Amino acid sequence: MHQKRRPFLALATAVFCLSAFFASMAVAQANDTIKFGLSMPLSGTQALFGADQVKAAQWAVADINAKGGVNGKQLEMILIDTAADPQLGINAAKRFVSVDKLPIFLTSWSAVVKAVAPIANREKVLELSVGANSPEIATLGDYVYTTFPLADVDVSALAQYSHKTLGKQSAAVMYINNDSGVEGANIYKSMFEKSGGKIVAYEAYDAKATDFTGALLKVKAANPEIIHIQGLITDLPQVIAQMRQLGITQRVSSYSAGYNPKVIEQLGAAAEGLIVTSLAPGVNDNPNVAAFIKRWQTTEKRTPNGLPYTQYLYDSPYIVAELFKWIAKNKLPATGENLRKALITIKDFDLPMTGMLEVGADHRVKKPVYLLTVEKGAFVPLATIK
Amino acid sequence: MTFSILLQILWTGLAISSYAVLFAMSFSLILKVVKIWNFAQAGFMCLVFYSLYVCLNIFDWPMWIGVLASFFITSVSAIGFFRYGIETLRARNSTSLTFFILTLVVSQFMGYFFAMCFGTEPISITKNIMSPVIMVGGIVISHWDLQALGLTTLTVLTLFVIMHKTHLGQFMSAVADHPTLARLYGIDVNRVYLYTIVLACLLMTVGMYLFGLKVAMLPNTPLQMMLLAVIATLLGGMGQVFGAAAAAILLSLLQSLSVFVIPSEWQSLLIYAFLFLTILFFPQGFSWQTMKSFLGGGKT
Amino acid sequence: MEYVISVLVLMGIYVILSSSFNLIIGYGGLISIAHPIFFALGAYTCGVLSVNMSIWPPLAVALGAGLALVFSLMLSLPSLRISGDYLLITSIGFQLGLLEVIKHLSFTGGASGLGNIPNVVDFGDRSTVFAAISIALAALVFVFIRWLIRGPYGLLISAMRDDELVYTSLGRNAMKVKLVIFGIGCACAGLAGGLYAYYYQYVNPDQFEILQSSMILTMVVVGGMGSQWGPVVGAVLLLFMPQAIGFLNFPPSVMAPLQGLLYSSLVIIFLFVRPQGLMAAFDRNSSRPSK
Repeated sequence: MHQKRRPFLALATAVFCLSAFFASMAVAQANDTIKFGLSMPLSGTQALFGADQVKAAQWAVADINAKGGVNGKQLEMILIDTAADPQLGINAAKRFVSVDKLPIFLTSWSAVVKAVAPIANREKVLELSVGANSPEIATLGDYVYTTFPLADVDVSALAQYSHKTLGKQSAAVMYINNDSGVEGANIYKSMFEKSGGKIVAYEAYDAKATDFTGALLKVKAANPEIIHIQGLITDLPQVIAQMRQLGITQRVSSYSAGYNPKVIEQLGAAAEGLIVTSLAPGVNDNPNVAAFIKRWQTTEKRTPNGLPYTQYLYDSPYIVAELFKWIAKNKLPATGENLRKALITIKDFDLPMTGMLEVGADHRVKKPVYLLTVEKGAFVPLATIK
Repeated sequence: MTFSILLQILWTGLAISSYAVLFAMSFSLILKVVKIWNFAQAGFMCLVFYSLYVCLNIFDWPMWIGVLASFFITSVSAIGFFRYGIETLRARNSTSLTFFILTLVVSQFMGYFFAMCFGTEPISITKNIMSPVIMVGGIVISHWDLQALGLTTLTVLTLFVIMHKTHLGQFMSAVADHPTLARLYGIDVNRVYLYTIVLACLLMTVGMYLFGLKVAMLPNTPLQMMLLAVIATLLGGMGQVFGAAAAAILLSLLQSLSVFVIPSEWQSLLIYAFLFLTILFFPQGFSWQTMKSFLGGGKT
Repeated sequence: MEYVISVLVLMGIYVILSSSFNLIIGYGGLISIAHPIFFALGAYTCGVLSVNMSIWPPLAVALGAGLALVFSLMLSLPSLRISGDYLLITSIGFQLGLLEVIKHLSFTGGASGLGNIPNVVDFGDRSTVFAAISIALAALVFVFIRWLIRGPYGLLISAMRDDELVYTSLGRNAMKVKLVIFGIGCACAGLAGGLYAYYYQYVNPDQFEILQSSMILTMVVVGGMGSQWGPVVGAVLLLFMPQAIGFLNFPPSVMAPLQGLLYSSLVIIFLFVRPQGLMAAFDRNSSRPSK
């Protein structure tokens, strides 16, 4: 009878899914390499950045292994997609911890970093945040460290520069209403005011907005000397485009999210004068960077999305290698606890793409801030702030 | 707030309302004649946009051919969806729940499909999003604004003529009021549905063309635009396509003007507030009688 | 093994969600897709309460469920007054609107989410304890709904759903039944939310968007709307599916949309080929196939 077959169908599907699941888990146990995890957005709206950052990290692992690996063993990176979604980030972290049994993993995107912090702290697994900039990251717990300067570093430097060096007495701030926007805008405001300047307009815009006329007109009415936009690459060009079209001619600044060739591409002449920050050295500051960019041109035929972030991701496997070398030297087992000890004992790292890095006891890092501006359709260095 | 700022906001708000009007009318038209809450519209809006993008950027066709092509593709797909999807469920006397699930899921399916094909990077039809501006009495008027208002007015007028001055329009009203009776009168109901769908696709195409010139889009952007279209339809009154258009303009303008009263980041919440107010006070659509009865406390 | 156990926790949560959603949509015939927002309300209540004061977890969870119940009335009362179709539109607006409010408030952590929810299980193996609680709660909810449906109240519900006009003309208050079912369903979602918040110790508003609605909807449609075991089967299947796909190692840019594509294709296929879902034919207490 037909009816007898239907629960069988349901059962069969369930059994299939379950066995595929268990079988692949079994395969995941492995061999003799030094493993660490990397969870990044490989799908979703952030994939264009995530994919390039992953590629940089993969190059580093290959480069390290070509030079003999870590203490003779090959370095292996286990990669999982997070789509910049906290839930998927949590799944990835759980897999790293219980399936792959890794003592250390790297991740990025503030929401993900925060979401997996409880797991890192509970399971005593070292979580390195590479690229996320929410200031909260410094307080997420004993096992969460950032190797990338948090928002207070570059935005503060920019605010001070705008007031002290560029001489702007008044500024307007526009920001996207999400965590990076809100926190970054707050930092700009407090630093600019502390420096002696005055914030004359402070407008948020919705993450899904397509029309910023209202907020822009308020900014125009306040007549600031400079306008700082704490937004993402998805909205920044639109805001500036509408701004220029409304006859707002003041200079605009943004943070590292604005350091992206897409901005120039979409805005054309309207991008002239834009000031952005970068937390990684440029071609003139570090000889390895030119070769890095050339490698992108030859293999991918383009520059990477978010060049500074890819530089930091390139350097991360080097940090991981250093940590493992230290514990081998001190004959300690490879646990998260020991890796953490390694991190705070070594403290200073000399990295190929980003130079010196000092990991502070307060879980922060301080790095020089590189300011760039758009001149004749390209980003050129403007200043370096230590 | 000076007078010129107010004028600027009114002008820009009006220009922005152009595509909102078109999307609202499209939704309202389908609801009126075909009698379904077409949440699949978001998916078809995506289809218009991405086929236009492909025609312009991958095949390098000129704009007008691209627009025609995407109109054609969307119409064919929409008709197919109606024929094989909606009609099948209708033949089975499915509940409105099933229709709803189907239309919503079709939208999502198309969203994921386009996400898979085009990645989820925001893309715009043209590389450069700046549009030349002219100044008229201190108000900034961009070429896009003029094109948007011009095209929309033309489209709305065309629809008005079709619906009120042609046989098709009469048939559409007949089918909207009573499909069975219309059939008895010899009207080919299916043919009328077809034309209605094509008209709705026309509205969508013009709307997405305008929208795509201004904004970089993600696959799930249309789903958010749909909310305004739905509220405008409710507020305008079920079965009042031009009422929905007027409501769309009103809602858009209110959203733009609200920035002077509430902090800009709360603007998006406004739309939900409107939805609630509409359901609470004007579920049958806005009418002066209902308004008076609330204000005067008298009988409707 | 630990990984499997953590999936079990999620499974219990989703069984509660899909069963309670089935109560609303399958048995009650009420078209609402706002289930995730009540899930969110329960999660945020527990999160906010436990971050700011030390509160007995079961109490926080109960308060979360209670808040979800109260909010459900805010949604159902005005919309059901008009008609069932209006509930649909209002539920979308309610869900998205309330999410926007949550994203703008500071005590909920705003758009970046509420983290550092304290760990309330520090005895035994944490995941196993949570898995046990989760499965137990799921079983409890399942049994409760079954008791509700099988009992005299269940007959009232079927009668109201099948022919409301007749029901009302017999002097019964259909509105009251709808409000009660909606309330119970939403309260269960709030319960699941509390469990979720305590397990993951982090709540983020993006997790409660329309994607979540469609996932729960898929579980119910595929499993069998209006059958008792249907949502359970749907939840189990749809939870293991992405895990299985995830391990198959497709190129990642294809993965996420692929999952969404699979969910929506499943629903579409089932709507046409087997509208009563996988389990409908075997359930004595299932409703008539709601085509």
